[in-house]
Amino acid sequence: MNVIYTDSLIIGGGLAGLRIAIASKQRGLDTIIVSLIPAKRSHSAAAQGGMQASLGASVKGEGDDEDVHFADTVKGSDWGCDQKVARMFVNTAPKAIRELSTWGVPWSRVKKGDRYVVVNAKRVKLTEKDEAHGLITARDFGGTKKWRTCFTADGTGHTMLYAMDNKAIELGIPVHERKEAIALIHNGENCHGAIVRDLITGDLTAYIAKATTIATGGYGRLYSVSTNAVICEGIGAAIALETGVAALGNMEAVQFHPTAIVPVGILTTEGCRGDGGLLRDVDGYRFMPDYEPEKKELASRDVVSRRMTEHIRKGKGVPSPYGDHLWLDITLLGKEHIDKNLREVKEICEYFLGIDPVKQYIPVRPTQHYSMGGVKTNPTGQSPYLKGLFSAGESACWDMHGFNRLGGNSVAETVVAGMIVGEYVADYCEQNQLEIKTSLIEQFYNRENQKIDQLIESSSNENVFQIKSEMQEIMMQNVGIFRNQKDLELAVSSLKSLLKRSRKIGLKNKTRSSNPELVEAIRVPKMIKLALTVAYGALQRTESRGAHSREDFPERNDRDWLKRTLAFWRNEEDEMPELQYEDLDILSMELAPASRGYGNATIIDNQDTEKRIKQIEEITKANPNADRFEIQELLNPIELPKKLQGKNERVGRGFK
Amino acid sequence: MEQLLSEQVKKSRTPARLDFYQSATGLILGLFMWAHMLLVSSILLGNESMYWVAKSLEASFLSKDPTHGYPILVTFAVLGVFFLFIVHAGLAVRKFPSSWKQHRVFRSHMKMMKHKDTNIWYTQVVTGFIMFFFGSVHLYIMMTHPDKIGPYASSDRFVSDWMWPLYLILLLAVEAHGTIGLYRLAVKWGWFDGKNPVSNRKKLKFLKNLLAIFFIVLGLFTFAAYVKIGIEHRDKQGERYIPSSLTSQAKPEALINYQS
Amino acid sequence: MRQEQQNGRKLKFHILRFNPQIEGDKPKMVTYELTEALGMTVFIALNQIREQHDPSLQFDFVCRAGICGSCAMVINGKPDLACRTLTSKFPKGEITLLPLPAFELIGDLSVNTGKVMRAVSERIEGWIHDKNMGEIDLTKMEVTMDPDLADNIYELERCVECGCCLAACGTKRMRDDFLGAVGFMKVARFLMDTRDKRTEEDMYEIIGDDDGIFGCMSLMGCEDFCPKDLPHQHQIAYLRRKMVTVK
Ligand SMILES: Cc1cc2nc3c(=O)[nH]c(=O)nc-3n(C[C@H](O)[C@H](O)[C@H](O)COP(=O)(O)OP(=O)(O)OC[C@H]3O[C@@H](n4cnc5c(N)ncnc54)[C@H](O)[C@@H]3O)c2cc1C
Ligand code: HEM
Ligand code: HEM
Ligand code: SF4
Ligand code: F3S
Ligand code: FES
Repeated sequence: MNVIYTDSLIIGGGLAGLRIAIASKQRGLDTIIVSLIPAKRSHSAAAQGGMQASLGASVKGEGDDEDVHFADTVKGSDWGCDQKVARMFVNTAPKAIRELSTWGVPWSRVKKGDRYVVVNAKRVKLTEKDEAHGLITARDFGGTKKWRTCFTADGTGHTMLYAMDNKAIELGIPVHERKEAIALIHNGENCHGAIVRDLITGDLTAYIAKATTIATGGYGRLYSVSTNAVICEGIGAAIALETGVAALGNMEAVQFHPTAIVPVGILTTEGCRGDGGLLRDVDGYRFMPDYEPEKKELASRDVVSRRMTEHIRKGKGVPSPYGDHLWLDITLLGKEHIDKNLREVKEICEYFLGIDPVKQYIPVRPTQHYSMGGVKTNPTGQSPYLKGLFSAGESACWDMHGFNRLGGNSVAETVVAGMIVGEYVADYCEQNQLEIKTSLIEQFYNRENQKIDQLIESSSNENVFQIKSEMQEIMMQNVGIFRNQKDLELAVSSLKSLLKRSRKIGLKNKTRSSNPELVEAIRVPKMIKLALTVAYGALQRTESRGAHSREDFPERNDRDWLKRTLAFWRNEEDEMPELQYEDLDILSMELAPASRGYGNATIIDNQDTEKRIKQIEEITKANPNADRFEIQELLNPIELPKKLQGKNERVGRGFK
Repeated sequence: MEQLLSEQVKKSRTPARLDFYQSATGLILGLFMWAHMLLVSSILLGNESMYWVAKSLEASFLSKDPTHGYPILVTFAVLGVFFLFIVHAGLAVRKFPSSWKQHRVFRSHMKMMKHKDTNIWYTQVVTGFIMFFFGSVHLYIMMTHPDKIGPYASSDRFVSDWMWPLYLILLLAVEAHGTIGLYRLAVKWGWFDGKNPVSNRKKLKFLKNLLAIFFIVLGLFTFAAYVKIGIEHRDKQGERYIPSSLTSQAKPEALINYQS
Repeated sequence: MRQEQQNGRKLKFHILRFNPQIEGDKPKMVTYELTEALGMTVFIALNQIREQHDPSLQFDFVCRAGICGSCAMVINGKPDLACRTLTSKFPKGEITLLPLPAFELIGDLSVNTGKVMRAVSERIEGWIHDKNMGEIDLTKMEVTMDPDLADNIYELERCVECGCCLAACGTKRMRDDFLGAVGFMKVARFLMDTRDKRTEEDMYEIIGDDDGIFGCMSLMGCEDFCPKDLPHQHQIAYLRRKMVTVK
């Protein structure tokens, strides 16, 4: 039995995982990252558009601060988020971006003087202030009141990930690459580490740690067409689910991005629209202003995706061998802008479509993009159900995104959560001793070993690739942008029978070392379980909120559904997850539920909403001299690690 | 003490110098070869011109007797070039594949990639290797027989002394090696990168090919000229050329002196 | 959609098969036939081969969008990113795939680029060196940077560590200790960055030898095969000039 001991074990080498590892290491803890792939290849690298942080340096960001960012985030979430966490997040985001700046991210900067941008299809002159020259600039993104999305051309995630990994290398943090965590080791109360399979040799190793952090990214590949990397299969979340103890939160909250190219589903960044690109239909007509007169192409993603789908359903899509699509028009931005700020987009168009976006429209369609759901955690990042298990980044349901996350808030989350949760992970490691029986390690080690033996020896003949693609098709067809009872019921029942079939997988290739078929065979049953939590959660949630949109329940129902879904998988043999619900406490919300201001859905109010609005009014009135920080403290007190406290300075405004 | 220590750990500057000298010697040799080719090709303009060139290089204008130069100057010049030649070769040899395995790897790499700039490097290695032998022979002869340069003497060497096969190979080798080398220098040091290094490199490569063709064609004509003269002059091997200005003015003592 | 794609054409993939994990296995070329589909990439094709012909076929894809650098392999003799190579690029319909040379082979088309790249980063200390970094107060405004400088750094940072530049470099193939273009690019990137306090002398310590910048023979494979079109030629020349003049 191979065993490795460490203090802080991090599963996943994306932005979130790396940042947590850095925090652990900086606190002097022994730290190891395991990752399927080299850290720099993690899907964080794919984020093109940018990272939100209310620096307010560019003129279009003037007046921005944590409060505005907070309001945007809560509205974006359709009030489904944890407002404490959203607060922790917005207050820390400026620090995160500034830290990354010292670590080497070449953020695009403000250039003083005039420049021309395209806003609402018109060329507009902006004059940047002299005193902001050289500070980090920002661009426009969907669902934000101010230009807040900081970026490096269109390689934001890439430069962030590289700076982060470079820092990790500087600190000498080992990344054990080409390793897959396939089970967590726990005793029902404490998590003690993970069983990890080497993807080259096929050997298993037990990694024993005081704290184990899951930072494995999203589960987009439950769908057949996704903007996600092919490794975004949600295995991290699945092994948490398989403990039978830890819960996954809001799994049905799945975001569809409006502009992925057809057919392969590769993303063209929201920056295209943020910088002035338009959506057009089969007649070349710009249709978004008809649906969303105020925010137009830049309403939040869930809204734009639905509007596009609606418009296609009206017969306004462009027919193609791969189904109908719409056009993304960035020709009006001009060659120079595209060559500089949207070059990855240009490359993608050239290589995958053979078109020149400077002259031609890009065929796009809403496509699965982001997983709001994940391992349910406390604001400290720890699972409320399994001590010593932490999670951060897209794999977590830390819950600052609720039912829809804003563009640019996700890479921001990975880093901010990494900073915050990283400190709590370190605290936990310092405060706890490693106490584990070898028999427990052996139990898990042998169990996983046996499972693999069984797979290899099995004489069943279910084809794992077949099962996987059936699952992806089911999710695509029935658990997509618009959902309804009939489709969801079908999805649940088909997934159930797939799960049964997945227990009878037979392998053609019986090699125990590197064997892609075996890798799939280990993953696919886990993925089907996740798919079931998504489909079943969506079936149960009889309302429309954020990205979860029920045709049969089009209203947002705060009365019955202002709650978070928790999914458990109690026993290995179970065929269905167990769902529980956790109320969001309106009476402690900083921002009482209201309309988002776009997407014009009807809302069924909760009785507490009115009450909270009154409370907030009273508190504000009773403290006429309080500044915004004091008001926030009264309405929504939060705790942050000491290092991360303190007001953020802004140009022309100081610390106000 | 501290300074001493930091001096000690400082990385040697030798590799930098060697790289610089390799390029510098290459550059001088490359430019020299252009000049050399133009001078040698003076035969194309007639025996007179070649004679004049040869004599000028012996600095015959310093002597009272125009047929008399100072061939020792040529010996010194060759010595200088020989020195550069050896230094350059010595430095460049470091870059050769150092084992049969490396050589094999490089060959298979070339075969797989079919990449121009990689292939022409190999050309440089091969031509360099050839020149090491043939160039040395030529240089040695030039050094030891500095006085035997002239329309007839040189042509005799081509034909009667059987130097022509060596010259033919050397000609192709040196022009290929030299023009590629100069192109490589420009790329290596970024001399003509300008605003758009990609398109400028394309232009450089074009120029390189143009120059190579020019010098090889010129060299072949020159070669042909010497061979022709050499064949015609075969029977009179050893006879030296007398410029027409001298024969018409008939200065007997001088002629006698010269022929003796 | 591309017009020139030949839909329904037969494609022949010749793939190097070898699994060093299995004792006694020998490298061999195996041919697979596929029907071309509209917009097919080598990524799509390889997955089909794995799913329909041979589930043991090994290769590495992550982003399948040309951004992560995982999938570099030798496609008809040229190192390139397989995920963004359309099969329609090859009019004969014959596609030969080899694993990227200059790296440790994991199996078939999969090689260990990650290990090498981490070693490169460690060797050139590819991070910002600034003794005062620990004292920076994150609540304060960030240090300003010239906007053009930021853009220029990004130009060099677009490298995806795919390894094509090493595979395409004859020098690297011959001499394993040679740093190679990806390392030079990183050095140039940090030298350009005003936040990194290292001087040219410091960089000389890293690349001032025949395993470093003076070992480069200007073969330009890096320049010609870098899928991200990084300016190798220019930057290598720049570094060479700088390093030669270091006192
Ligand atoms: C195309 C695209 C564009 C995007 N653009 C933006 C944007 O502009 N702005 C924005 O804010 N957000 C954007 N996002 C979202 C954002 O990029 C991701 O949410 C975020 O990067 C996730 O980071 P992460 O660290 O949580 O996970 P990832 O970066 O996905 O990393 C996951 C890590 O976990 C490892 N791993 C996974 N499973 C296992 C296992 N079982 N065992 C061991 N290791 C494992 C992987 O190897 C990897 O290292 C975009 C997403 C996509 C798909
Ligand atoms: C003994 C004979 C010679 C040998 C073995 C030789 C070998 C080489 C080799 C191997 C290189 C490539 C070096 C590298 O890639 O770093 C080179 C470069 C070069 N050679 Fe030669 N060479 C010889 C003679 C000559 C001559 C006669 C000339 C003049 C025409 C010449 C001009 C050059 C030039 C200009 C370069 C480029 C220099 C550089 O890259 O730094 N060489 N030589
Ligand atoms: C100072 C040094 C040199 C002198 C004085 C010199 C002189 C000459 C002379 C006089 C000739 C005419 C033929 C003859 O007389 O034999 C000649 C031909 C030639 N030399 Fe040199 N040479 C020198 C260096 C070199 C070098 C370094 C090379 C290449 C390595 C070279 C390559 C050639 C070739 C290829 C020819 C034949 C040209 C043709 O056929 O067109 N020479 N040289
Ligand atoms: S420099 Fe270019 S070829 Fe080399 S690793 Fe980076 S992206 Fe790949
Ligand atoms: S290919 Fe190699 S030799 Fe130099 S120019 Fe590029 S590193
Ligand atoms: S798979 Fe990421 S670059 Fe090809």
